Amino acid sequence: MMELLASLENSGFGTWLRESPSIWAYPAVLTLHTIGLGVLVGGNAVLDLRLLGWGRAIPLAPLEKLFPVMWIGFWVNAISGVALFVGDATTKGTTWVFMTKLGIIVVGVVLLFALKRTVYGRGDAGVVETPTSRALAAASLALWFLAIVTGRYMAYV
Amino acid sequence: MNETLDLFAAWLRGTSISEAIRVAPWLWPLCEILHFFGLSLLIGIAGFFDLRLLGFMKRVPISAAWTLMPWAKFGFALSALTGVTFFIGAPDQYVDNPAFYGKVFFLIVANLNAVYFEALYRRQVEARALDSGGPIALKVIAAVSIVSWFFVIYWGRMLPFIGNAF
Repeated sequence: MMELLASLENSGFGTWLRESPSIWAYPAVLTLHTIGLGVLVGGNAVLDLRLLGWGRAIPLAPLEKLFPVMWIGFWVNAISGVALFVGDATTKGTTWVFMTKLGIIVVGVVLLFALKRTVYGRGDAGVVETPTSRALAAASLALWFLAIVTGRYMAYV
Repeated sequence: MNETLDLFAAWLRGTSISEAIRVAPWLWPLCEILHFFGLSLLIGIAGFFDLRLLGFMKRVPISAAWTLMPWAKFGFALSALTGVTFFIGAPDQYVDNPAFYGKVFFLIVANLNAVYFEALYRRQVEARALDSGGPIALKVIAAVSIVSWFFVIYWGRMLPFIGNAF
């Protein structure tokens, strides 16, 4: 495992990302990771807050369009996140904070699917707000907050 | 960059509040977390409103999208408060840092843009006079908002790379 992580880190791409003085290497990837975070967590927050009772005048049906926005944020961060990992694989791949962050993201993604199914999964029967959708919204908001907590904490371990 | 600024930074760094911010082991990471969570709320809620002004999600009345805006302001307050904390804790990281001035410039643009919107259109939005759309100026304001907040994030991320901040 350690050998695999080391070979990733010492690959041409890993070395370039870590050592290139270019503003298009590490700084650009990190910027993308921050933008993606804002789009995913922020877009998700709009739906969660609405389901939790704020902005009740906003009809729920058109908010389904927030999901593609969230997925754009997710994929920007998945790709930039893999790049950041490759550049620092032996450190990140061996810390519990990183593993915890990955676990939180997996649960967060599962919650996104569950949220979409619960609120928008009934087709012509329309969108529904239930205690379940409210619980999922609260959990989703909390999980993505924790993803930020663990992500930021990685800078200190 | 400038002697007066360097003197100011040295003075601020020497104050007891600045030292307290640097010494508390948990304070800086906590502020980083809140800074990024605030950023997400701001980008998400304000971005949602901007997209609506630009013509997306037309079934959402503009007045309804506006009602979430206090959450964007709350996010901004979180980021501003923690940002000021960083500055007080380590002013020397910022006063000579070109990225810091890039960030401040776009913060000013973004805030002036928001104040301009509130001064000219808030009343009409809340009176539901613009629900089905409004003047083209609203789209320009929305575009300026998205672009300027993007550059606030960009320059913020550049702080450690162009200058010397961590």
